[in-house]
Amino acid sequence: MNPETVGFSALTVVLLLVLFYGGTFYVSTRIGKKNENADGYMTAGNKIGFGISAASMTATWIWASSMYASASSGYTYGISGPIHYGLWGALMILFIYPFGKRIRKVAPKAHTLAEVMYVRHGRSSQLMLAGSNVVGSVISLMSNFIAGGVLISMLSPFNFIQGVFAVAGGVLLYTLWSGFRASVLTDFMQVIAMLGAVAIIVPFIFFAAGFPAAFETGASNLTAQQSNFFSSEAFLNQGAPYIAAVLAYAIGNQTIAQRLFAVREDLIKPTFITATIGYGAMVIGVGMLGVLALYLGFEPTGGDLNNIIPEMAASYLPGILLALFFIMIIGALSSTADSDLSALSSIMMADIYGQNIAGKKKANPKTMLLIGRLTMVAATALAVALASMQMNILDLLVFVGALWGALVFPVLASFYWKKVTNKAFTVSVIAALAVFIPVRFDMIPMTGVTAVLIELLAVLGIGIVLGLMAFGFFGLRPALVLGIGATVVAAPFCFGFLRDYTTLSASLVAYSVSTIICYLMSFKSTQNFDFSVIAERAGDFDTGEQPVALPSADSRNTTTTVQERE
Amino acid sequence: MLALSLYVLIWPVIVAVVAVVICKGFMSEVREAKRRGEDLI
Repeated sequence: MNPETVGFSALTVVLLLVLFYGGTFYVSTRIGKKNENADGYMTAGNKIGFGISAASMTATWIWASSMYASASSGYTYGISGPIHYGLWGALMILFIYPFGKRIRKVAPKAHTLAEVMYVRHGRSSQLMLAGSNVVGSVISLMSNFIAGGVLISMLSPFNFIQGVFAVAGGVLLYTLWSGFRASVLTDFMQVIAMLGAVAIIVPFIFFAAGFPAAFETGASNLTAQQSNFFSSEAFLNQGAPYIAAVLAYAIGNQTIAQRLFAVREDLIKPTFITATIGYGAMVIGVGMLGVLALYLGFEPTGGDLNNIIPEMAASYLPGILLALFFIMIIGALSSTADSDLSALSSIMMADIYGQNIAGKKKANPKTMLLIGRLTMVAATALAVALASMQMNILDLLVFVGALWGALVFPVLASFYWKKVTNKAFTVSVIAALAVFIPVRFDMIPMTGVTAVLIELLAVLGIGIVLGLMAFGFFGLRPALVLGIGATVVAAPFCFGFLRDYTTLSASLVAYSVSTIICYLMSFKSTQNFDFSVIAERAGDFDTGEQPVALPSADSRNTTTTVQERE
Repeated sequence: MLALSLYVLIWPVIVAVVAVVICKGFMSEVREAKRRGEDLI
């Protein structure tokens, strides 16, 4: 039986939204420039300081779904559930920072990873990565709008569609003009509001709901697995698939790459470490509400686990703290949504227009800015349309996650190994997807020889994921030792076992197939790529020079600038 | 009970510490930008 829940009046919700979005819009106007710089619109000049970048990285990595999912994990798997969501997600920020340092060293002035892939390999690799980024960001945008619509409809008299429009309009309002610069600056405000809210709300609910005494009275509501901090069920169903998935998200997601290119190069390490701790503590902390709900025997409306957090908040918080909770969730979804808009605009500006339509030297910064802003409007409209259809986004998210999983090795190897070719990159990613899809969606029977082969690939995937993580910090030899060792140790336990966990197996298969094929197609290649070329070709578009095209000239080779001609 | 209580309540404490660290970093960047006469971002 749940306590009686409370909500807001229409006027209160309007005032809270005006306060939140009005405040962020005001801040964005303080940094707005009549003539924005195209590179500043995408990466803010590549010299953001620690405070803003750490706040922005944290805010971007936390979306509304991560809080809901962490609480769901706590409610489903018990006391270790939030750890198996939040800790692995947090560690992935940490694990990618060594790669981040390498990426910045190779491409100090780039705007997107896809842009670097264009220089490194060519169009097909670039468009494969950019395409996955676009799909991922649109889905993320839609998911955040849905979360906003659900929250507003749950806590106020407004309906879902009105909530979606309010959130979409608010985010677009403050992001449109200054792009990434507005996104990261408002992220600071939003993350402080979110962190402050968690620091107050979680302890408040803890005591208001009758804890710590409820740990005793409600202990019978937990199964043996839910009471066990070392629950194998929690690890195999939540933790392990998530470890494989979030490494892919961290590498493949343009919102993270964009911040990597924006932060001052010497501040990459403290930024990533702070974001790791901030993300982990916040998401695990909110996830504890799911654990508390489990002890209380709390039953979310309709059995929908996404209702746990809002209903716990509405049940135990007084009006003023409920308003703070509302701002926390709106902040979480808005900070990720504005990052998605900035990511999408950068991809359209740099990858589509800058390198594929106009060409690097012919690209007009003003046209780029116009394209960036139009992209934001179009993406918002598309995400609102998709959100209003209330689609089930799980399959789409799984698909994008797998696409990024298939991309991880080819992308990372392209920054270290001179032999990786465009053909190896492209074929390995397509092959990995071709194996992933039937495994993930149970299109092939997981029995007999097929199951053994899939398990073999999945076991290799375990070694590859751990090896990649070790490679970033310790180099090739320790990575090989850990990867091979992990594969050998895991193998006896995995055969005959992993076939029952297709989500985990499919993710691991995406890693192993792309890695094996990319390696086999590259190790005999004679290519000896010069990495210094990337810094020369993936740089600023808006240098203050007027682009001038020579008649009948090839766009990338025979175009010059006014300054060069003078 | 004590261990479980600490397990739940430690996260908001860490969150508060991170918020302070980020705020301090931000304020020093604001001061530095003012001192140099440059835009914060």
